[in-house]
Amino acid sequence: MASVTLRDIKKTYGKDVQVIKGVDLEIKNGEFVVFVGPSGCGKSTLLRMIAGLEDITSGDLLIGDTIANDIHASKRGIAMVFQSYALYPHMSVYDNMAFSLKLSGESKEDIDRRVQRAATILQITHLLERKPKALSGGQRQRVAIGRAIVREPEVFLFDEPLSNLDAALRLNMRVELSKLHNDLKTTMIYVTHDQVEAMTLADRIVVLNAGVIQQVGSPLELYEHPSNLFVAGFLGSPKMNLLEAQLVSLEAEAAVVRLPKGITVRAAVNANSGKVGDKVTLGIRPEHVQLKLEGEEGVPARIDLIEHLGDIVLAYVEVAGVNEILCVKLPGNHPELKRGASVRLVFPEKSTLVFNEQGLAFKRTC
Amino acid sequence: MALGKTTRTVIGRTLHYAGLVLFAIFTAFPFIWALSVGLSQDASNIWIFPRAFWPTDPSFGWFIRVFHEMPFMTYLGNSALMSFWTVVGVTVVSVLAGYPLARLKFAGRNLIFVAIIATMMLPSEVALVPNFITMKHLGLLNTMTGAILPNIAGAFGIFLMRQAFEAVPQDLIDAARVDGATELQIMWRIMVPVCAPSIAALAIFTLVNEWNDYLWPSIVLNSKEKLPLAVGVFNDLTGPFATSTSLVMAAIVMTIIPVLIFFAFTQRYFVSGLDGAVK
Repeated sequence: MASVTLRDIKKTYGKDVQVIKGVDLEIKNGEFVVFVGPSGCGKSTLLRMIAGLEDITSGDLLIGDTIANDIHASKRGIAMVFQSYALYPHMSVYDNMAFSLKLSGESKEDIDRRVQRAATILQITHLLERKPKALSGGQRQRVAIGRAIVREPEVFLFDEPLSNLDAALRLNMRVELSKLHNDLKTTMIYVTHDQVEAMTLADRIVVLNAGVIQQVGSPLELYEHPSNLFVAGFLGSPKMNLLEAQLVSLEAEAAVVRLPKGITVRAAVNANSGKVGDKVTLGIRPEHVQLKLEGEEGVPARIDLIEHLGDIVLAYVEVAGVNEILCVKLPGNHPELKRGASVRLVFPEKSTLVFNEQGLAFKRTC
Repeated sequence: MALGKTTRTVIGRTLHYAGLVLFAIFTAFPFIWALSVGLSQDASNIWIFPRAFWPTDPSFGWFIRVFHEMPFMTYLGNSALMSFWTVVGVTVVSVLAGYPLARLKFAGRNLIFVAIIATMMLPSEVALVPNFITMKHLGLLNTMTGAILPNIAGAFGIFLMRQAFEAVPQDLIDAARVDGATELQIMWRIMVPVCAPSIAALAIFTLVNEWNDYLWPSIVLNSKEKLPLAVGVFNDLTGPFATSTSLVMAAIVMTIIPVLIFFAFTQRYFVSGLDGAVK
């Protein structure tokens, strides 16, 4: 096990294409950290730099206490699981797993012991003699993980390892990866664009966008206290409702914003760094918006579309004067909700966020 | 009235197979003809079509005579030796040259590749004189090495292997690198086995080329006991003193058979080597 420290890491391709723009990050010993972000945000590049598969243009990478910038990938004490599995097609599962140990000159008994142990952990003992082409996607992924386990690395690196699996298998493997981390207690760095994987697996999530870390924190911290519009919009499914608004009044523990058509909403945030009249963005998660019947108190709205997902209902509602369609997530079953029906929306003060003109969140007061 | 789906499928498939059968006949007919003539003890029908495709008075007489009329086994041995070493040489050179051109980054990589490809624009005869002079200076005239050496570095093989190596997913190489493989280990233990179908294709292509090569061996070799089949059969059985067309045909069939056997054995390597590697 080892910690991983990134100090002002930058990556530039050619002369002026900078894909990683100065990343500072400390990953603790035994921690499960997930890099998450949209395609092209630099998360895989960052992982490959840690792995030693991409050169680091500037900055320091420390694995444990050692600066690893110029250490060969195989000597960094890391093992990597690739999105495409990258199994050696001409070797059996056993040989795939034993390959690195053979290269490092381990004894035959030692290789066998380690391969058998990894195979037992992953329940693939019966597949050891097979070639990769005779395996299913899930089995291949297990072999790829097994190949990493046998190396007994200080740090595991996962590059979108589940994205080629179907939904059911992905869920299954996600649980197993979580268990694996509990059993091995090894530092793991995991790259994904799937926020559900990020939320469920991570001790800490690192949200990246355009080569810059947007926020680092525990899944719930990021979900409840996103530091900016990007994080707020990226985490959560369906995504957070974000509405253009204007700051109309500032109080010690709350701020009042006005939506078009004079609708005002109170939010429990400290917006003292802003001033009345500033353009802001109001943010509220779909599950926090309350849907009331016509006649009750709240912002008048009309249902545009209803999606019944069995356990929840997603209602897409239109508020007069507001350009964006709002999503409301309701638990249970609501057959009474019909398209075109008039309803009232309530934005609870404690669940409403406000972002300033630069997209940074005002601190919540509760 | 529109045809039913089944009828259309049947018609489509019939045309499809008819086309393939025609093509197969077109490709195979010289061999079938040669085989039929070689097997015909009575040569009176060999120019009458389509009668010539069926042997008249079949026997192996002409085949047996081939062994008496010329040192067939010596030529066969020479051809086998030359082809074997050429295939080995071409494969090794093409793999070693193709890998860095496909996978390593170094200055002038593209220029070197273009220069190699450019040699394909020249007819092979252009190289005859320079090669001959080089072999003379190396003291390799009338030697097996002299007949083999100029053929082992070919642009086609390098091009083929470069393309094959380029098609291997980067993840596979990265995985091997993380596993601790050196560049050479990546090449020999991962890339070469994965590219086995391309190597098999290159081997059979080289073998056929070398087996049929007439011009260069006929120039560089002058001792009868060193000649390969293509040169030996031509020298001994054709020309003004040729004894019989049937004998030539029998010799030709015997010349082709080793290549067919080789192809039959290597055919199973022509399946994709990348199955199961990546999603």
